[in-house]
Amino acid sequence: MKPFRRSKLHFDLRIGLTTSLAPSSASSGEPNATSLRAPLPLRIAVCVAVVAFLGLAGRLVQLQALLGDDYLQRSTNNFIRERELEAVRGQIRDRRGEVLADNRPTFHVYATPRYVSQVTLGRLARLLKLSEEQREALAKKLGSKRGGEASKQVLVAEDISRDQLAALESEKDLLPGIDIEARTRRVYPQKATAAHLLGYLNMAGPEDLKRGYKHGDYVGRSGLEQKLEQKLRGSPGFERIFVDAHGRRKSENELGKMAQLAPQEMRRDPQPGLTAVLTIDLDLQHIVEEALSRHASAAAAVVEADTGRVLAMASYPSPDPNLLGGRLTRGEAQRLESDPFRPLLDKSLRETYYPGSTFKIIPALAALEEGLIDPDQKQVCYGRYELGRHVFRCMKAHGPVPLHEALSQSCNVYFYHLAEKVGLERMARWAERFGFGQPMGLGLGEASGFVPTLDYYKQHGGFRGGYALNTALGQGAVRASVLQLAMAYAALGNGGKLYQPMLVERLETPSGDSVEQFAPQLRAQLPILPSSLERLRRALVDVVADHKGTASTAFIEGLDVAGKSGTAQVRKNRRGESSGWDQLNDHAWFVGYSPSRNAKIAVAVLIEHGGLGGHVAAPTATRIIQGYFDRIDPEHKPRPIAEGPAIKLRTTLPASAGAR
Amino acid sequence: MSALRRTWSLVDGPLTAAVVALIGLGLLNLYSATRVAPKGMFSSQLMWIAIGLVLLVGVAVLDQQLLKRLAWPAYLGVTGLLVAVLLVGKVVNGSRRWFGWGSYGIQPSELMKLSLILLGAHLFSSDPQGLVHRPWRYVLKWHALWIVPALLILKQPDLGTALLCGLLALSLFFLVPLPPKLKLWVFSVGLSGAFLVVRFGLKEYQKKRLLTFLHPELDPTGTGYHARQALFAIGSGRLFGKGYLRGTQNHLQFLPEHWTDFPFAVWAEEWGLCGCLLLLACFLFLILWTLHIASACRDRFGRYLVLGCAALLFWHVTINIAMVIGLAPVVGVTLPLVSYGGSSVLTVMAALGLVYNVSARRFPL
Repeated sequence: MKPFRRSKLHFDLRIGLTTSLAPSSASSGEPNATSLRAPLPLRIAVCVAVVAFLGLAGRLVQLQALLGDDYLQRSTNNFIRERELEAVRGQIRDRRGEVLADNRPTFHVYATPRYVSQVTLGRLARLLKLSEEQREALAKKLGSKRGGEASKQVLVAEDISRDQLAALESEKDLLPGIDIEARTRRVYPQKATAAHLLGYLNMAGPEDLKRGYKHGDYVGRSGLEQKLEQKLRGSPGFERIFVDAHGRRKSENELGKMAQLAPQEMRRDPQPGLTAVLTIDLDLQHIVEEALSRHASAAAAVVEADTGRVLAMASYPSPDPNLLGGRLTRGEAQRLESDPFRPLLDKSLRETYYPGSTFKIIPALAALEEGLIDPDQKQVCYGRYELGRHVFRCMKAHGPVPLHEALSQSCNVYFYHLAEKVGLERMARWAERFGFGQPMGLGLGEASGFVPTLDYYKQHGGFRGGYALNTALGQGAVRASVLQLAMAYAALGNGGKLYQPMLVERLETPSGDSVEQFAPQLRAQLPILPSSLERLRRALVDVVADHKGTASTAFIEGLDVAGKSGTAQVRKNRRGESSGWDQLNDHAWFVGYSPSRNAKIAVAVLIEHGGLGGHVAAPTATRIIQGYFDRIDPEHKPRPIAEGPAIKLRTTLPASAGAR
Repeated sequence: MSALRRTWSLVDGPLTAAVVALIGLGLLNLYSATRVAPKGMFSSQLMWIAIGLVLLVGVAVLDQQLLKRLAWPAYLGVTGLLVAVLLVGKVVNGSRRWFGWGSYGIQPSELMKLSLILLGAHLFSSDPQGLVHRPWRYVLKWHALWIVPALLILKQPDLGTALLCGLLALSLFFLVPLPPKLKLWVFSVGLSGAFLVVRFGLKEYQKKRLLTFLHPELDPTGTGYHARQALFAIGSGRLFGKGYLRGTQNHLQFLPEHWTDFPFAVWAEEWGLCGCLLLLACFLFLILWTLHIASACRDRFGRYLVLGCAALLFWHVTINIAMVIGLAPVVGVTLPLVSYGGSSVLTVMAALGLVYNVSARRFPL
């Protein structure tokens, strides 16, 4: 019988269990030891138990001996929360120490979803005076975080008021999972003043996170904030605190010996950023911006003639940087972007224009220096100049004029003759010597402008003689920025030294120790004879001082200004004319330096669609120059009597309606 | 004097050593584990141990004939309780497992484990000839008898205990002398049945647990968080542990409910691999010694009784530790003598009482 046989087999197979594990039963004197042999299933059971326990032991060896260090790290990370200590961003100051960009403390509220109960949420909503909708939105936001996400902090309220802060602090113990974090916020105490120059910050985006920024950091986005980002930023520190699984803070005492598992360094102080001291003079900046604000859209630059230091630079209108960087509503941002006066654009640096007649110094110098003309020989101006089938016009019929009058009264016909003698290539070479069409090396995204050459025209539809005439008048394809013109005229005023514009004087520690001092950078000593410069100087002085000069309406008694007005034609095919100003009107320019000998400053002013340069831009420029010598640098104010022939005291009334 | 000595000689020395060691280690660990628990847990565990010891002695001195007579009534009674608990039981954490009196309670599902051991031992020992000649009858009878209460427990739902009852019944079935072919056949049928249960018979949260175990990265509700934290605790103990009362995972509450299901993680964190191997050795010794007592027992009823208890201990220990160290899904199975809880302590003590009872009667008196 099969079952029986099996059953017998069952008992016949033997195992040493009783003898190996149980000497007691063997020694107990039981005579019939053979019947105590264990059956097969029992032996299998023993094997199963041993193998199972070996399996468990193996897994423990893996977890504790092989992966132990890794798990220790993870369990330590569990109860140590690292909090970043923000580095205070460096200030930006003007040359005299006035603060242009500063920081103020703000308080943000964060919630860790895992630890925030409905009760806590309700209490928080009450303390922050959230509306029912806001509260529900918040509850939804927190509720949507799962798993590891639920352990990460979520920003609940930004920049809460002092009252809200006090309310939260007083009930802090009843708000597990809610943290208040103090962070600094960038503020610009001068509001819109020098806004384009300073730039603004906004929240770090995905690209920045890859570059070592963290969520919630602010990054310089334009202007000096962007250029000096690495210097201003500083480096953050950290503080490590002990927490339990519910996010409650634990002191080192409470942890006792467990605290020894923590890393040695529990705190590292942040390194504050460096303070940037600019070459900008805040008072002059105010003067410049006040002068520009009389127009719809304008830009100006004032540079120290013999160093290239930018003393003031402005673009009007400008936004308040305190409001930029993600703090505007969508509507406000759109309004800024679609504003016809383009407040977001820095017109002093990042936009280029036809320089118009302010460019005439280039063909004039080229002709003088290369001996192509006799400056005293007159050209007769009938108000028009014909080249082939083209007719080029002048403002009026000047009659016979030498170079001096051609400059001071801005006779185009004279310069048409001149341009034919000088040619496009020479003009281009001289323009480049003065920095036109070249990058300025400020690192603020400034435009290089453009100077056309023969090659350029050959590649763009062929060269025609008229192009040289246009170029001589700063039209055609010539483009220059406000600062470029200021630098070029500074070179005229300082005897031919072209400087690199300079904005940052030095970098300091927060306590005021100088870290890095910058020196003026000479780009080139231009090969110009002093006699040529002197000839030019006299002509430029008469632009303002002579009653026939184009900018004679801008004459201010006792001010020694040499400069050139410009009226740059606007491309007539511009779109969008509904903007309340005449977009077909010419751009008005005035660029000059003062005093005319040993110039202290050079000034460039552009009034977009302002009309005649001599009438619109020049008075703005002279007002700025007057402001400079009255309020910034009275020591160097020229004394008219002593200077003698340099300044003509006006005896006749200026021609009404100017040069037209 | 001589009566005392005679009584003492009936007490199994190695078994006692293992039990005492485990109770000691368990209490030591529970003291640490319950430091962050609601107050009074440690002392209430002490009380349960004391009551359990009394129960152990009481069970150890019971007449085996009485036990045999009790087998059926106990089974029927506990099954009745299981039905009753489904109707009027207290709902704790979404399942109906308890009869409650105040803060104390009783889980009939725990009693069912003991009752199944008793019934199995009785069933397979009462008619050895029948077992040989009509094995099918016993097979069908036995499986019907354990499946009914297991399903009732599953309905509560209490996956861990249902699973344990099943494993217990199958272990007993495997250990009794039935034809191997028959056993093989039953196991293959059983496996397919188990697959069907898993596929269609589990509650949503139970499925999620299984799913989380198989694919921890999915972690739809954070169920895996606890299991992961347990792994951190164990692994971070390394070779020698962080030291007694110094487990950060335990004391800073990163281990949830660690005094019932995860005391091994607490132990592992504070005592390291060395402590773990010591604890495993104690358990293995206890189980092997119990098996030894069974093999040494010449009486069929007593042998099967002890085998049942050995199976109970073995499955409790392996499943609990396997789930804590991430080798099995998290099901509510306690670690004998180490986990906190009256039901668990009393069940294990009663089972040990049965082992003592049999070990004292290895030889016909």
